[in-house]
Amino acid sequence: MSHDRARTDGSVPALELRGISKRYGPVVACDAVDLTVERGEVHGLLGENGAGKSTLMKVLMGLVSPDAGEIHRDGARVEVHTPQQAAGHGLGMVHQHFSLIEPLTVWENVALGEPGRIDRDAVCADVEAVGARYGLTIDPTARVERLSAGERQRVELIKALRRDPKVLVLDEPTSVLTIAESAALFEVLRTSVAAEGRGVILISHKLAEITAATDVVTVLRRGRLAFHCRTADTSAPELARRMVGRDVSLQAEGAALGLVVTDDPAKHLSPVLAGGLSAVPAEPPAPQAPADVPGTAALALHGLRLAGPDGRVLLDSLDLEVATGEIVALYGVEGNGQATLGDLLSGLIAPDAGEVHVAGRPVALDRPGALHEAGVGVIPEDRHRSGVVLDMSVADNLVMTDLRRYSGRLLMRRAKIRAQAEELVERFAIRTPSIDAPLRTLSGGNQQRVVLARELSAEPTVLVAAQPTHGLDVGAIEDMFARLREAAASGVAVLLISTELEEVMALASRIAVISSGRITGVLDVADASPQRLGMLVGGEAA
Amino acid sequence: MTAPARRPLASYVVGNAGLRRPSADAWRTAGITVVCVLVACALAALLVAISGGSPTEVVDALVTGSVADSAGWSQTLVNAAPLLLVALGACIANRAGVFNIGQEGQLLIGAMLGCFVALRLQGPGWMVITVALVAAAAGGGAWSGISAAMYYTRGTNVVVTTLLLTFIAAQVVQFAVNSPSLLQETGIGNGPARPQSDAVPEYLRLASFGQYPDLTIGVGVILAVVATVVLAVLIARSRWGFRLNMLGLNPMAARHAGIRASRLGGSALVLSGAFAGLAGGVILLGTVFRLQPAISNNFGWDGLLVALVARSRPGLALPVAVLFGGLRAGSSYLAATGVPDYLVDVVQALLVLAFVVPPVLSALWGRRIRNRSAVPDTPARPSAAPAKEEVPV
Repeated sequence: MSHDRARTDGSVPALELRGISKRYGPVVACDAVDLTVERGEVHGLLGENGAGKSTLMKVLMGLVSPDAGEIHRDGARVEVHTPQQAAGHGLGMVHQHFSLIEPLTVWENVALGEPGRIDRDAVCADVEAVGARYGLTIDPTARVERLSAGERQRVELIKALRRDPKVLVLDEPTSVLTIAESAALFEVLRTSVAAEGRGVILISHKLAEITAATDVVTVLRRGRLAFHCRTADTSAPELARRMVGRDVSLQAEGAALGLVVTDDPAKHLSPVLAGGLSAVPAEPPAPQAPADVPGTAALALHGLRLAGPDGRVLLDSLDLEVATGEIVALYGVEGNGQATLGDLLSGLIAPDAGEVHVAGRPVALDRPGALHEAGVGVIPEDRHRSGVVLDMSVADNLVMTDLRRYSGRLLMRRAKIRAQAEELVERFAIRTPSIDAPLRTLSGGNQQRVVLARELSAEPTVLVAAQPTHGLDVGAIEDMFARLREAAASGVAVLLISTELEEVMALASRIAVISSGRITGVLDVADASPQRLGMLVGGEAA
Repeated sequence: MTAPARRPLASYVVGNAGLRRPSADAWRTAGITVVCVLVACALAALLVAISGGSPTEVVDALVTGSVADSAGWSQTLVNAAPLLLVALGACIANRAGVFNIGQEGQLLIGAMLGCFVALRLQGPGWMVITVALVAAAAGGGAWSGISAAMYYTRGTNVVVTTLLLTFIAAQVVQFAVNSPSLLQETGIGNGPARPQSDAVPEYLRLASFGQYPDLTIGVGVILAVVATVVLAVLIARSRWGFRLNMLGLNPMAARHAGIRASRLGGSALVLSGAFAGLAGGVILLGTVFRLQPAISNNFGWDGLLVALVARSRPGLALPVAVLFGGLRAGSSYLAATGVPDYLVDVVQALLVLAFVVPPVLSALWGRRIRNRSAVPDTPARPSAAPAKEEVPV
């Protein structure tokens, strides 16, 4: 699409991908995709989960060999079969999940993987020089395990930039960053990296980020190039439409795509909300009981404190209350204690101090299953880890937390289990060949529905949903949002643990912000602005 | 995200819960198994030929000793019973995700306690026999209980402790049969007392039905078969079996569902030791009749192999135990062929490999096929043709 565009200025693009195709059996991950990145350009690559962004970049970095297509650097065709070749051609990438070795220092991580003798002082000097040039200051002798997520990303960036890449790929770079850190990152990309004539590919599924930080945008949908345009000539709603393939009007979808609020405090909201998209967060379900009356909260966490095995404080005097029928979001940047709290509420770990009260009664946290019996349903962050047993059947997974209800004194009541499973499969629209199929054979969205169906079928007082839409596509996200709202409307107290601002703004009536294992503030959604949340996320009181 | 997550390695050993139609995976596994068994047989024949024997003579001897006539069958079943009992215990522990490999030692301790009761307890025969078998089971259970306690209080690796306790058990039994105050035989006349116990009196020996040369079936065999049926039903149908499977397949989800691993997993480990101990009691009262340091005769190790080959399914353990029992029975006829009888151990090991390796091979193969046919990190969609083994969202 773009390579045949006439070039009037005679310049050669820094990188050109031509007709890249990659099939995995019957599934086409990339179908003749073209992508052109000019020098000094920030190129946005947008698409839903599974649109082919990752596959395309894996091809570029020599991690996957394509079935067809060519890669051109500065106009010359190059072969990229290994990551080493990619690096040799001046291609660098910062992956979404950092590939740093935590016990090593910054300079050791930067030097890692380089051939030849390692000169400590030279590497340290390099780290400092690169840091100074791009405004990425960091102590080269610091241990990575002590760094924040934002600092770790700086290390990744320095590592990539030190090798002097002509094209730098950033995969979902803001997923672990605070709003301020994201803004700083885009500043560096724009003013330093692109200004030096390097090409940047910014992969994201967040529209706000793409519209704020890129010059050109390419949208992939189902492996095909769906849209290509200068960012200035398009709008977020149009990009959303291109990305999903139809008009986006639903609140849930808008939130899923990052349309409700923007991550960028400088230009938040304005361009994004035109074109039939609702700016108003979903009507928060009216709480049936006021949250501020002590003792009546459906879920009350008091002074939860927990230190990890290495002595690091994971939860620090955490207090939080969720009333019946209310959705409270626990928002924060990944790695600030959310996972620990999720494990605690799943009954996987017990706190060092503090209490959990459900409907006013304290729960014996050291007894497995006590929270579930008290009426706490959990959609865990990592369902494979604690939510399901992949090698057991769908039916078994649907009843496993309430075995007493489905068994006599000794034997299981198969008929009762099957009846319950059939009903839940029907009610929650779980797509499975049969209730006897192993859970492993279901898709992620359907596995998640199994968890949701099981936890809601126990008629919980409280539902804890930790990152419930992680890895799901738009349709499944919509469904999840609707189910959570429905649960709240029927009187369940919902605690939504999320790192996605849009999700939080779309679902919750109150937002509690967690930072370093502490609640730094609780805001009504009406009072919550990205700036205020950003300060709370950074650990400051707003 | 939705690409099937890696199966835990344990699930290959444990197998899957519930009934399932044979899938493509199952057919592939069956095919690979047939090939592996043929390769194992070919290798065994080659070994026999190299060591100067004739493969046909060896097969002939093995068959004569095990299944050619009712006397052979009797021998096969006598050998199969303790193997099966040990295997049943291993099935329980494996399903709970705790790998007990110390059955040999648990069996020895069981035999020792059973012997102690049989020689010291006065009373009617049926009562002393029952108490002796219960004591044997209790002894084996206590021995594996030490490992359970160490694991659930201090996190000491179960494989290591059960293995090392086996060597301690061997020393304990040595000590017992060398101490006149404990179990050493009283000796006859001036002959030196050997390191073994007195013989268990006639009336305390396990009864058997049928008379040589007809088929004889001992109480041990009946005990093992009944235990197999009960355990198979419990594992497939009971709440205990459900929880045991859940604990073994995903301990985190099990904890979320209210299972206390130390209680359920610990009791599974104790129970598996108890089965090994019971096997010791059956060997003592059924065939050997006196405690000797070599009484375990590798029944513990081989029983564990039976469970491995049967992939922790009690129902499958039954035929596998008969097969291994047959090999044991047949090996006593090997001497006539001029082939060393330890060759049977090699054949048995080859067979174990032939049965244990295929599921893993099949899974690796399947994973390669899937990797080629599924997009990693990509949810299947209704419009795009979904990967074969996935159900679209």
